[in-house]
Amino acid sequence: MRSNDKITGLVTVTFGVLVITNSRGLANLPQQDYGAGTFPIVIGGLLIAFGGLLTLRGLSSSAPLMVWVNDVPIKRFYLTLLAIIAAIVAYILLVPVVGFPIVSTVLLSLLLYGFYRQNWTLAACTAVASTAVIWVVFGRLLQVPLELGILEKVVY
Amino acid sequence: MDSFLAATTLVFTWDVMLIVISASVFGLFMGAIPGLTATMATALLVPVTFFMEPLPAIAAIVSATAMAIVAGDLPGALLRMPGTPASAVYTDEAYLMGKQGKIGVALGLNIVCSMLGGIIGVVCLAMLAPLIADFAIKFTSDEYFWLALLGLSCAILVSGGDRLKGVISMLAGLAISMVGMDSVSGQARFTMGSYDLLAGISILPVLIGLFAISELIRRMPESHNPQQEVQTRVKKPFAGVGPLLWKYKFGVARGGVLGTLIGALPGAGADIASWISYAIARKFSRSPEKFGTGHPEGLISASSANNASLSGAYIPALVFGIPGDAITAIIIGVLMTKGITPGPDVFVSEAPLVNAILLVFIIANLLLLPLGFLAIKGARHILSIPSGVLFPLILIFCMVGAFAANNTMFDVWIMLAFGLLGYVMAENDFPVGPLILAVILGPIIESNFMRSIIKANGDLTAFVDRPIAITLAVAAALIWGMIVANGIASSRTKSRLSFN
Repeated sequence: MRSNDKITGLVTVTFGVLVITNSRGLANLPQQDYGAGTFPIVIGGLLIAFGGLLTLRGLSSSAPLMVWVNDVPIKRFYLTLLAIIAAIVAYILLVPVVGFPIVSTVLLSLLLYGFYRQNWTLAACTAVASTAVIWVVFGRLLQVPLELGILEKVVY
Repeated sequence: MDSFLAATTLVFTWDVMLIVISASVFGLFMGAIPGLTATMATALLVPVTFFMEPLPAIAAIVSATAMAIVAGDLPGALLRMPGTPASAVYTDEAYLMGKQGKIGVALGLNIVCSMLGGIIGVVCLAMLAPLIADFAIKFTSDEYFWLALLGLSCAILVSGGDRLKGVISMLAGLAISMVGMDSVSGQARFTMGSYDLLAGISILPVLIGLFAISELIRRMPESHNPQQEVQTRVKKPFAGVGPLLWKYKFGVARGGVLGTLIGALPGAGADIASWISYAIARKFSRSPEKFGTGHPEGLISASSANNASLSGAYIPALVFGIPGDAITAIIIGVLMTKGITPGPDVFVSEAPLVNAILLVFIIANLLLLPLGFLAIKGARHILSIPSGVLFPLILIFCMVGAFAANNTMFDVWIMLAFGLLGYVMAENDFPVGPLILAVILGPIIESNFMRSIIKANGDLTAFVDRPIAITLAVAAALIWGMIVANGIASSRTKSRLSFN
């Protein structure tokens, strides 16, 4: 999704204002005119200035506010984006409760079936094998604490 | 000599060699699949390298990136789809050579020139870096402030595209780098009361988000499209490569040296080195009209340059601790987590490690020949891996990788946020390079500024009272002048185009 420069410019200006607003309470170093707020205020000011320039450029352009410039149908893009976000959010929320092996297997099965469009058995087998490889590499070899979740009671 | 011997004992161990070979194979797959870049390969490798000693960690990244750049030539020559942006400039040339029945020569040239370019780059790195380090030892916080600012300014100037958006990208990166506890005063900034943000935003989930998740968002909707099959069988790769190499030997040398110098500029990566080298080869060619018709001259020069630039990027990274590109930004991050701060001192305090890194570069480049040969032979199989299978696996790998650095799910949220940001930026022509360099260089700029200002008791003129500092300041001012002039010119052109 491509936006007109006036939209991205205004977002930049807003970001700059937020940076300055949140930096104003920061105290200077003792007996100095500079401190933790100096750099953020300079950067916020520059963001406002350059964001303003981008907005001005957008105002003089006849480009539409938002336009989809891709060969892929927009519906398919949104569905894929939703699937990616949902997968990541589900991973974050479910792994501490259910555990990595189950969440990873289920998510991978769904994603593989959804994107490769072969049969469920193939998707599930690939998901189980991939989860096992990730578990061995990260969980065992690299000692990353991947949660076992509800499987902890089964394994131990 | 002693440090060289110490370096050989560090490098020639079974674990380092195994890591070099495994990382090369990983880089080969990543580079050969269109859309997966060398930077993405590095970002995915970092979670694994966090658990390694400094040398194996760097060896893994060096080997994977060199192989990914070379493997990117395979789909370019066989499918007319560049595997990485660094191969894009000569994709048509290699593909058309294939149509003329010279696919083996095209791919053979790609591999041999990449290897030679890489070796030229390492030689330049080995010769230039210690000389610059000797000079840099005199630097104080004033010079480091200007140098980091100069690096960021260069990143905008050479990143290509819209300069105004490049500046905004850099400023956003600087703002992001200031999240967390201020290193000088200890005050919390922009943490919104979050305990997780007190230590700042971790670089690893930022990299995975910007380079891997944003690419998945862009590529996954296309994964329903049928996979293109490789029709051409590559017979006798390397046959006929020798005479062509001899004929265009100056092109190889020029590409190698040019690639190293371009790679040393912050923000200019393998793709820019490749484009510039191709353009220069065409300019100095006796037969420029043959370029774009399946002529090997430009391909030779650009293949040599893109791999040499990888070594070039290590010059500012090792000497000043200032990354030349996203890959060296990751390397600096990895070294710092191991307690090694890149800078001129590292050439004395960690001389065996520096020599070992150079040795790893040579081994990784020499490995391009046998592994490249196998890659050509197995190209049909590599390119037939369906993206519908690959992308979900990469997505899971990204989530585990983002979690692995600090063992916190907060980093997975950060990865998602930066993935979305990276996608929006790419769709709207905001270069990502200046943002990532600013995230790395922001603390260097700010801490050196604060150190100098405290030392000078608030006197700003102290920043330009030393000859090197004033030279760097003038250079930075000149670059900013060029950025502003270029920005005004492009704004006028855009306005004119929109009114017509």
